[in-house]
Amino acid sequence: MTNLEKKLRVWDLPTRIFHWSLVAMVGIGLTTGFISPEWWMGIHIWAGYGTVLLVVFRLVWGIFGSEFSRIETFVFTPHEIIAHIRELIFLRPRHYIGHNPAGAMMIFALLFFLIAITVSGLLVLGGEENQGPLAGAANYRIGDMASEIHLVLAFILLTLIGLHIIGVFIETRLTSENLVKSMIDGYKIIPQGQSSPQPRPSRPMAAATFLLAFTILAGSVLWAFSTMPPSGIIQMSKNSDYTTECGDCHEVYHPSLLPKASWAKLMAGLEDHFGEDASIDQDLSVNIASYLEIYAAEAWDTEASNRFSRVSLKAPYQISATPYWQRKHNDIGDDVFRRAGVGGEAHCSSCHRDASIGHFDDQKIKIPVN
Amino acid sequence: MNNLNKTIFIATATILLGGVSISIVSANSARDAIIEGFVDEAGMEASAERGKILFESNIGDGKPDTPSCTTCHGATALKTGMTRAGKVIEPMAVSKNPERFIDLKKVSKWFRRNCKSVLGRECTPQEKADFLTYMKSK
Ligand code: HEC
Ligand code: HEC
Ligand code: HEC
Repeated sequence: MTNLEKKLRVWDLPTRIFHWSLVAMVGIGLTTGFISPEWWMGIHIWAGYGTVLLVVFRLVWGIFGSEFSRIETFVFTPHEIIAHIRELIFLRPRHYIGHNPAGAMMIFALLFFLIAITVSGLLVLGGEENQGPLAGAANYRIGDMASEIHLVLAFILLTLIGLHIIGVFIETRLTSENLVKSMIDGYKIIPQGQSSPQPRPSRPMAAATFLLAFTILAGSVLWAFSTMPPSGIIQMSKNSDYTTECGDCHEVYHPSLLPKASWAKLMAGLEDHFGEDASIDQDLSVNIASYLEIYAAEAWDTEASNRFSRVSLKAPYQISATPYWQRKHNDIGDDVFRRAGVGGEAHCSSCHRDASIGHFDDQKIKIPVN
Repeated sequence: MNNLNKTIFIATATILLGGVSISIVSANSARDAIIEGFVDEAGMEASAERGKILFESNIGDGKPDTPSCTTCHGATALKTGMTRAGKVIEPMAVSKNPERFIDLKKVSKWFRRNCKSVLGRECTPQEKADFLTYMKSK
């Protein structure tokens, strides 16, 4: 930088805080989504909510922020965008005080995919896991579809972030202005000959009012959704015969974990039940069999009821033999299941602290260490 | 402590202690009646010695996964055991667990199941009487 060049605070403090908070939030979201163990899912979900808040803030600040934070200042015509790309190809990009057209397009793309990824995330949470504000609105099928979309969007987001970082480096090289540094201290160079613009200041009060109104509105809409009873979860009465007779040798399995036909087969073969005699008095066993038939998987629409409905042909009433169970527990070593605190594959509740209510939320997984 | 409080305290303590001892006594008598029933059926005296052998030896005539009573119940009458599906079983010895063997239905159900699993047949009344007498003595 020569002395003749002037510097201007282009990125106001809220925009910079937004930028780096978003980096942190999305970083946490991607890490917990792709590589961390399941029980970090709670953090993943909070990162999602955090991302929504940040994006909403940015959109509002895009109206009421200071000059270069305003969205209108980086909406370019197709002509300008093509021109900029041509300049980039010839390695001679023009200098922009605010966002350049390529950067602006990246911002719109990122904001769009961030919104899409959080919305699809909420649908997965509500549909598959029966949690969050959309637990009542989204059924399992919607959640299942959303989970595939969520994954695709995550890969797109990852690609965009990669491009964004590459773009920043290229522009930094070509314009010899450190863009990362200006997102930290807020200053950008006004090149020689270019007149210093008269930037409009931000309107924090207007932004705060708008944000408050929006939060109240969005909050009440989500709250209205969340008052809907979770879809696919039915009211189930307890059956004391079932809990006592079927809870002596192992935990009481939630009836939603197997389909009707499987329970019927199990009840018909109690004399030889996994290598043990588990026979029960006739009247009790009739009562238990009809209870299990009423509340079998068919009556529910949860992740477990959907997934475990595909049973193993060889062991039609062993939950831990279903293909889904096998797939999900593939990575867990035999030595883990043999730990005294775990007590075997059939002891679901030693690792899934919500197993007794037929839920298997990722956040509720905790493997006993010995 | 004033007199009224003292009276209330003594009355409560008596009722509590009385309640506990009555329930222990009635548990004991319920258990004795169950053992008595098996002894009568067997037509001979029960032996804690034979009960110990039944409980601790490796029989293996039933289902392959359960060769002995101690497969699930602890290695001795005083120890905690675990079912094959990972659920803890409280000790069988009455001294450790006063709730043991006081409900004939429960006792019969488990004798039926466990004897079939371990011996491949139902236990005889004599074996049942021996087993319970041993656990009572422990
Ligand atoms: C006498 C003991 C006993 C009783 C009583 C008993 N079970 Fe079981 N059950 C077992 C054993 C042992 C296993 C196998 C556990 C293992 O593989 O670790 C098992 C396994 C199961 C499984 C499969 C678990 C898995 O691995 O997916 C189901 C389902 C089940 N039992 C249901 C029932 C029902 C319903 C009743 C009541 C009618 C019942 N059990 C009563 C001993 C018992
Ligand atoms: C040793 C601990 C352990 C035991 C015992 C265990 N699980 Fe799991 N389970 C896990 C872990 C860890 C995961 C996460 C694996 C993954 O998704 O990569 C999991 C995943 C699951 C999932 C998928 C949850 C989701 O939202 O992705 C279901 C459903 C499930 N288990 C059901 C069961 C049932 C039913 C049993 C008993 C028959 C059982 N588990 C026993 C550790 C255990
Ligand atoms: C496959 C595991 C297993 C084996 C083997 C086994 N038991 Fe049991 N037994 C249990 C379970 C589970 C209970 C019920 C849990 C409880 O009462 O705490 C039980 C309960 C009993 C009871 C009733 C206890 C009461 O409080 O009324 C008797 C009696 C009994 N067992 C006798 C035997 C005898 C005798 C053998 C050997 C011939 C044996 N068991 C072998 C699992 C087993």
